[in-house]
Amino acid sequence: MYGKVLVVEHEKCTGCRQCELVCSVFHNGTSNPSRARIKVMKWEHVGFYLPMTCQNCEKPFCTEVCPTKACHRDIENQRVIIDKDKCIGCKTCVVACPFGHPFFDPIDRVTVKCDYCDGEPQCVRFCEVKAIDYVEADRVQMAKRREVFTKFSDLLKIER
Amino acid sequence: MASVPIFQKKFIKPQHVWKWEIAIYLYLAGMGAGAFIIGTLIIWFANHLLPQKLLNLWIYSIDLSKTAVLWGPLLVAIGSPFLILDLGKKMKFYTACLNPKTSWLARGFLILSAFIVIGLVLFVGSSAFDPRRTTAWLTLEIIGVALAFSTAIYTGILLKSVKYIPIWNTPLLPLLFLISALSTGSMGIILSLLGFKLTSPGHLLLKRLTSTEQVFILIEAIVLIFYLYSRYRQKDQGETSVHLLLSGPLRFLFWVGIVLIGFIFPILLEFLYTHLAQPGLLIITGIFLLAGGFFLRLGILASGIKEQLPMHKLVEMKININYSNLGLPPLPRGDEGKLKNLMRTRGVL
Repeated sequence: MYGKVLVVEHEKCTGCRQCELVCSVFHNGTSNPSRARIKVMKWEHVGFYLPMTCQNCEKPFCTEVCPTKACHRDIENQRVIIDKDKCIGCKTCVVACPFGHPFFDPIDRVTVKCDYCDGEPQCVRFCEVKAIDYVEADRVQMAKRREVFTKFSDLLKIER
Repeated sequence: MASVPIFQKKFIKPQHVWKWEIAIYLYLAGMGAGAFIIGTLIIWFANHLLPQKLLNLWIYSIDLSKTAVLWGPLLVAIGSPFLILDLGKKMKFYTACLNPKTSWLARGFLILSAFIVIGLVLFVGSSAFDPRRTTAWLTLEIIGVALAFSTAIYTGILLKSVKYIPIWNTPLLPLLFLISALSTGSMGIILSLLGFKLTSPGHLLLKRLTSTEQVFILIEAIVLIFYLYSRYRQKDQGETSVHLLLSGPLRFLFWVGIVLIGFIFPILLEFLYTHLAQPGLLIITGIFLLAGGFFLRLGILASGIKEQLPMHKLVEMKININYSNLGLPPLPRGDEGKLKNLMRTRGVL
């Protein structure tokens, strides 16, 4: 009802970048991770990897600044997408997005962003460690809450 | 995208999407609008000071005095293709007006198009044909001036509308760009009056314009100081942006390009000019001032750093205290070691 969003658990990410590969294959037909709509930020010296995608904001700033209405919220599927035919590549959404998610694709000469692969995100399908998941927006924190609570309650048992 | 090395030295990169093409466009649009405002004000209030000069072409006689002061819209028209140059799909630029409800880019497209059309009508009409001072023409001129003001302010509002870049998100920025537009515009008018050989260097109109120009420069300097101070107080990335400009990689652009060339040299040279009345001095002042205006736009664009997300800070904290599995807040000192030991013995960590 509220739409599904991609939830990243960065503790599980191993930095294999499989998500980037399948994303680019699905969208561009080429195995080119630099054109993927999910980017894995890496800090190799601590082993910390953070996949970053579109947060699917309820009131997206990128749609407000788009001059051609190419970037709009698709009410039916509850996602924010950029219409490739309407986009003129002005890159204002790139500057506007607080997460810096959309990026300019120099081969298609338009701005692209994650569009949840029309209902079945490929990155979720192919991630072996399940670091990324596609869940209802109001249930995003349930797994994390459960995890933290379990560990906390274990600690309390230890203390006693 | 802010690439953040979380440790030790915090160097957060500014935006790299809007580059020199946008700076040129902002500069030319501002200068053209400012020049048009000053030119129309001269025609309204100082027409008696403006020397008449006619150029006879064929059957037309061109009033060069009007040509020399109303060329603003031409400059805006020259600046707009730089914006189109920056697009991905250049041929579809005309669709950029489809969302004026929420997008400042679309609104700006409409404002600038209206200003270019009406401005060019006024420019050609005043120069080539002799419009009598009818109410209709005066109304058109008033609309032209209003659109010129909107254009000059719009260059600042476009940047202000990007909410998540603290150094841009302030009403002082459109004010700064407006004053800069008026300052560069009036300097442009001074240079064109000299260039069209309409006035001698000691002419009264030129004296009035240069003294107005000095006032503009001073106001611009004061507004710039207020702007930088207000942005410096804006945590966190406002402070980082101002540091970047004043003491970071952009310090040459700021201190030499903006302050020295854009403010200090013009003030000194104009002071000299009032005593020496050498046209060469005025031309050099003009070039310095115009360059300074461009460097101002370039500097503000190049120092736009996005706000750091709470997510970044959370991740930073997790890395620093090495509790990436827990998601718990940091414990008071001393307890950290105890807790870590406990967790290790139980195999949780």
